[in-house]
Amino acid sequence: MTSDVAPRTARTRPQRPARSWKAPVGVLLFLAITWWAGSDRFGVGFSLPDLLANLERGQRIVSELADPRWQAWRSLIDPFIETLRIAILAALLGCSAALVAALGASRVSAPGLRSYLASKGVLNVVRAIPDLLYAMVFVAVFSIGPLAGIVALILFNIGVVGKLTSETVDGIDPGPVEAAQAAGAGHAQVVRTAIVPAVLPNYIAYSLYAFELNLRASLVVGFVGAGGIGQLLQVALSAFRYDVVALVVLFIFAVVFVVESFSIALRRRLV
Amino acid sequence: MIRFRDTTVVYPGDVRALDQVSLAISPGELVVVVGLSGAGKSTLIRTINGLVRPTSGRVEVDGREVGTATKRELRAIRADIGMIFQNFNLVKRTSVLNNVLMGRLHQVPGWRTVLGLYPADDVEAAMRSLERVEIVEKAYVRASNLSGGQQQRVGIARALAQEPKVILADEPVASLDPPTSHVVMRDLQRINRDLGITTIVNLHFLDLARAYGDRIIGLRDGRVVFDGPGSAADEQVFEDIYGRSLTADDVLEAKAEL
Amino acid sequence: MPGLPTRTTSPTRTTAERAMRPDKPRRYGPIGLALMAAAAGLWAAWTSGIDLATVLRGPETLLRILRMMLLPPDVSAAPAAFAGMIESLQIAWIGTLLGAAVSLPIGLLAAKNVGGRFSTTVARQVLNLLRSLPELVLAILFVSIIGLGPLAGALAIGLGSIGTLGKLTAEVVEGIDRGPIEAAEAVGASRVQVLRWGVLPQAMPEIIAFWLYRFEINVRASAILGLVGAGGIGGMLANYLSYRRYGSAGMAILIVIAVTIAIDAVSSRIRRRIIAGPQGSRTGPDPVPAADAL
Repeated sequence: MTSDVAPRTARTRPQRPARSWKAPVGVLLFLAITWWAGSDRFGVGFSLPDLLANLERGQRIVSELADPRWQAWRSLIDPFIETLRIAILAALLGCSAALVAALGASRVSAPGLRSYLASKGVLNVVRAIPDLLYAMVFVAVFSIGPLAGIVALILFNIGVVGKLTSETVDGIDPGPVEAAQAAGAGHAQVVRTAIVPAVLPNYIAYSLYAFELNLRASLVVGFVGAGGIGQLLQVALSAFRYDVVALVVLFIFAVVFVVESFSIALRRRLV
Repeated sequence: MIRFRDTTVVYPGDVRALDQVSLAISPGELVVVVGLSGAGKSTLIRTINGLVRPTSGRVEVDGREVGTATKRELRAIRADIGMIFQNFNLVKRTSVLNNVLMGRLHQVPGWRTVLGLYPADDVEAAMRSLERVEIVEKAYVRASNLSGGQQQRVGIARALAQEPKVILADEPVASLDPPTSHVVMRDLQRINRDLGITTIVNLHFLDLARAYGDRIIGLRDGRVVFDGPGSAADEQVFEDIYGRSLTADDVLEAKAEL
Repeated sequence: MPGLPTRTTSPTRTTAERAMRPDKPRRYGPIGLALMAAAAGLWAAWTSGIDLATVLRGPETLLRILRMMLLPPDVSAAPAAFAGMIESLQIAWIGTLLGAAVSLPIGLLAAKNVGGRFSTTVARQVLNLLRSLPELVLAILFVSIIGLGPLAGALAIGLGSIGTLGKLTAEVVEGIDRGPIEAAEAVGASRVQVLRWGVLPQAMPEIIAFWLYRFEINVRASAILGLVGAGGIGGMLANYLSYRRYGSAGMAILIVIAVTIAIDAVSSRIRRRIIAGPQGSRTGPDPVPAADAL
């Protein structure tokens, strides 16, 4: 019997709170958008049966992909060295600029409201443009070659590292900042002594991460002619040589894996 | 000489943290400010170095008006006032020495601090203040690797490195266990006696207040309700300040026995 | 003014037991790292064969192209570009949903406190593999398998999202409080019930926030997939650029930027609300964590 558990002095039970209209409206909105985006008529035309039927057609490609053309490894070396150059230069230059932009784009470290708004706006715009679009534009500016790739990835790195670092600055312990102010420090001194040391390990970790991203992105930006191993990928694809495609992709996996393990080890010591 | 004249601080939302406070604190005094949390202790201390500006009234430190000081004047005033915090406020990811050197910021040119090239004299001053709180052997250890008591002593060293005329301590022992609390309070007392630095400490525990305060100021709802020598502050006085009868929570030693 | 603190006035310790000042330790790590970075940078710059004159001419060319793009942008291209961007958004939406739906079970299996030992290892390896596939490569594969069109893009985005979303799901689940799980087990709940009432209520807000964050990233990705024929605004953009129709390209880029920033703003507001609740503060850092989330 449930009445045994009920307290002696029976109080009136509270009314179930009226449900907000927001949740059902949200769910409806979500379903409507999904139907619209997935429908054949207005959207991408998502249908599972067609998809399964199509997948069978892909068997030839998949079987070629499963059999990489190992003997072509020599052709990887020169493009890879170019990729390495692009990734290193872009990470060094991009991440240095990102630190400045990030310090400007956090309310904690910005010297004033105006520079805060300016840095924040620049970072937002830089981040809104995809890496491949940068590559296309800079191929138009510098013509085909690694320089376009370097500049494209510099901007890409400013966007990624700038945003992550400025969010880290937003989240630091305000105590040391107050302590530095209480000691009579000026703004630059507060930034240098109380803010930079607190975010430096994260910043270095983000920069290493940006280097990894650059190696991965090299497949993509090279595709539009911005140099490096991506150009090889593009050539292989346009010749329908999926066995070479597989070799290039696997090679980049291996490189990213090595760099990632190295930077994880380093990050662990830093943070 | 620190002088409050009808100082009132009103926070947004019409919270009156200080209400017409008038006080004078002479050089070399060790003053303990007591009161419940929310009574205005932290605000009182923070108006002295301008971290909080008074809504009306005046706050003077050695004849210099704090409330209306420009940014530059305020930095100069703050350079003579060391501050110690409840949560230590150390940069945990850098060395103890770098934290203490923060106390020298006002003396060191900006470009040197940016490059981290502190002049030898300033490093010497930082080392000496670490020696005074007997923690110099940790100078190159990361601040995060120290215990709470050790971190607070680094906080004291940072204040000392300013070669201040005044030290403000905002609940310096609230995050520490009872034995460590006494060590830190004794450090503060010793510094006050040996160097003649005016010291103002916010405390909650009445036994600590009575043991270390030459003078006790009681705050209640932003008003000064007691101002007298530590010896005159008996339990009745504390009950008046707290506005209720005393409990075990108000006494450090009793808390330690729990 | 009190004098400098001096060591002789310290009364509590005798000279013999007073601590010595330590020597400044030499730390080679940071210096080594900086030297390595500098050496790598010098090598790369030296051997790149890029001549300074080209670099210096860059800003001028860029400005000229930007001027052609933006002064003024070709407004007549706006409707087509906008339609392309809408298609990109649809690709991102469907792709994110597919990724989220598949990543949730895999992510749960990959969490040490939910999955078994064997399933954790397998699930993690699967996620790692998926994580290293760039979307563009996936898009190329899907285009060659199922033909040109936005569906290939959506599938590429979906498959590309599984890796990171699954990994983050596993991390969130591993970070939850063990108490409620224990409580659910203590009342005799089944494994599924423990998941539903002990694990998911704790982890779901963060996981949904990650989905939204991934959606923001996927909007950027879907805007470029058209380059390989996978639908969206990207194909149009690539054409405009290669035929030097800079005014039209400028219009399309402006639309990409505006829509992306708008989506970011809405999405980050929703994320903040999900994490902090309706009363949560509107300011403070974006509740998006781990660098790997990108």
